[in-house]
Amino acid sequence: MKKEKHQGRISQFGIYLGKYLRMFVYQNDWKVIPMSAIIAGVVTVVVGSNMFVTQEGTLTGTFALACVCLWNGVFNSIQVVCRERAILKREHRAGLHVSSYLGAHMIYQFLLCLAQTGVTLFVCTMASVAFPRTGIITPWGIVDVGITIFLITYAADLMALMVSCIVRDTTTAMTVMPFVLMFQLIFSGGFFGLSGTAEKICNLTVSKWGLDSLCAIGRYNELPMVTLWNTIFKFKDIEIQGQKPLLDLIRYAQDNGYRDQFLLWSGQYNTKPNYAASVENVLHNWGMIALLGVVFVIISWIALHSVDRDKR
Amino acid sequence: MTVTFNLFDSIYPLLSWLLFSLGLWKLLIKMKWKRPWMACIPGLRTFALASAMDMDREGVICGVLELILFVDSFLQPAVADSRIVAAYSILLLVLAAIMIIYEIRIFIRLTTVMGVRKVWILLWIPFSWFPMMIFGFSPKFQPKSINFTEDWQAGTSPAEISAASGVAATTSGLTVNLQERTARDFLKKRYLLKDISLSIPNGSLVLLLGGSGSGKTTFVNAIIGYEKAKATVILNGHDVYREYDRMKYRIGFVPQQNLIRMSDTVERTVGDSAKLRLPKNVSNKDRRTRVEEVMDLLGLTAGKEGLVAKKSGGQLRRISIAQELVSDPELFILDEPDSGLDGVIAREIFTKLRGIADEGKIVIVITHTPDRVIDLFDKVIVLGRDSGRVGRLAFYGTPDEAREFFGKDSMEGIVMCVNRQEEGGEGMADYYIAKYAELTALKNAPPTQTPEPETPSAAESAEAPKEGDPA
Repeated sequence: MKKEKHQGRISQFGIYLGKYLRMFVYQNDWKVIPMSAIIAGVVTVVVGSNMFVTQEGTLTGTFALACVCLWNGVFNSIQVVCRERAILKREHRAGLHVSSYLGAHMIYQFLLCLAQTGVTLFVCTMASVAFPRTGIITPWGIVDVGITIFLITYAADLMALMVSCIVRDTTTAMTVMPFVLMFQLIFSGGFFGLSGTAEKICNLTVSKWGLDSLCAIGRYNELPMVTLWNTIFKFKDIEIQGQKPLLDLIRYAQDNGYRDQFLLWSGQYNTKPNYAASVENVLHNWGMIALLGVVFVIISWIALHSVDRDKR
Repeated sequence: MTVTFNLFDSIYPLLSWLLFSLGLWKLLIKMKWKRPWMACIPGLRTFALASAMDMDREGVICGVLELILFVDSFLQPAVADSRIVAAYSILLLVLAAIMIIYEIRIFIRLTTVMGVRKVWILLWIPFSWFPMMIFGFSPKFQPKSINFTEDWQAGTSPAEISAASGVAATTSGLTVNLQERTARDFLKKRYLLKDISLSIPNGSLVLLLGGSGSGKTTFVNAIIGYEKAKATVILNGHDVYREYDRMKYRIGFVPQQNLIRMSDTVERTVGDSAKLRLPKNVSNKDRRTRVEEVMDLLGLTAGKEGLVAKKSGGQLRRISIAQELVSDPELFILDEPDSGLDGVIAREIFTKLRGIADEGKIVIVITHTPDRVIDLFDKVIVLGRDSGRVGRLAFYGTPDEAREFFGKDSMEGIVMCVNRQEEGGEGMADYYIAKYAELTALKNAPPTQTPEPETPSAAESAEAPKEGDPA
């Protein structure tokens, strides 16, 4: 039989990308954009005021920001493949290349995440978040933060895409999703003190590298720490032999302008090597997020090849 | 007091294990299980019990879990990290919980087999050895012969019916010589289809008939090469299986469900299908022309800019057909294209299919309401499930021949004829499968060869029609 050539991977990729872009309009996928604005708005109003101002505020704020990114990314794609798995099976039988299908999804989700990143940054700016003036990689801090937000969102998106490729229906996907999110949050390494094996597991999470990157860009190690000052302040009325030495210390520091120095000094004792504001550290963090994204894509690609084995 | 408690603590598990094993040994003997000694081996004993009641899958899962937990009970934690120990304990706990769920399932089946109330399960959970001893040793409790295994055993042993002879492959049309289509379901090999040979000339509109579960969809999946069988399928001189990567573009298959993305326009949906299915050397202009032709033929041109989601059931079926038809397939198979449609629209769709067949294509259609459109068909394939619940060819010929062969006036009557009695049918599948095999053997036999009068024919050896059935 004379060999007939059919549409190759690149042409098929174009067909599917066009399909998803149309579906963005028709299937109300656009709703994820305002949704990301609302989530970012709520979070930044609550935790944004001290973000990139103090160490505690930065840690809380960047953690919340990473959570927003994870949430956005996961919700973008958790159902996209499994909801049309039967259609995919039919099209695979008709000559669809899995790589083209997956590639189209990746580019479509890339654009979606890019838009969400823009929206999140805009909302943060509107909420008067004090972004670092200078960046680590680029001259602008907001650009570095934006790249990190995008990478976290996109990696989370690819992770959810992987889940969507593995599971066979939307119910299972939505059941798995909370566990995926919980795993990311618990093993982010920011709030929960982890050591040993648990610490090693952290390296498998997008949240860990994202949080490290945001804190590094926010120059966490150079920021003042307020916890010690606030703790001392709480005990200011303690009397020792009829005197209040802590109150005297506080007054002395405030009257002579040593308060800010004290805060910076206490911050210097709370530095973390993971949050070092160096080019190497930030690039390493970004690289790890990208690597995780690549792993997610490879697993998705492998998982999707089993679509023909789906039972009727 | 403390000594007594410790003694009890160490002896009780051993004692309960021993009692359970003894009870199960006796019970397995009652169940005619060939290897009752398996009752003494952790893991195997649960499998034996479950498998004796046709619960292989549950038996293996539960057995493996039981074995893991059994081995674990002899292990000492080798790591000092308390968190790893905690994680390990949680894992074991989860495994134990899963095992209990499977054990409950097995025991529920056991209560059915033994004919006791399900309340016995309350005894099983804390003292599994107790009901096992009673079931094993008490002569009052005997396993009942319950036909719960019917679904499970379906297809595991095909009926002994002589096969219809194969047909010679031709360079035009479709020739199918299917020896068997099997599937491995856990530990068992199931026959889904067996001995189906037929040859369909080009330009035929063929009706594929058969009751639920007779293997119609499995058969068409085997024909199109998507779920390969032990068979040869030749389409216009080309082996579908060997040249699958090329032949798949020449075969269109419209599935039972409307597998279409709802959030796209009709025109784009059909257009994208054309891009995917048509060869690369087809120009954009020709492709657009083909899309327009197909949409015209199927009455989709009006409202082609509209969203698929907004279309009616009939229109959705037509879009689904258009997606496959756009590649101009040589073999076009449709699985219930009329499901959920009223008679007028269904007739309209079948008329279009007649037109496609008249262009020289082979169109095979599965439908559950054939009589309203039977005049349009050239041939009828009737699949029946034999007594071993394996799909086989009960007839292939023209609709008139089919009526004569089965002695029925309608296609639905024919389906009822081969359907099982439990499904409201006449349960005559074995008879007609054998009769058809004999008929084809006679047709293919050389003219000098005559059947031996003394030897009972295949049809006679199968279950003969009862009173009121066709002679």
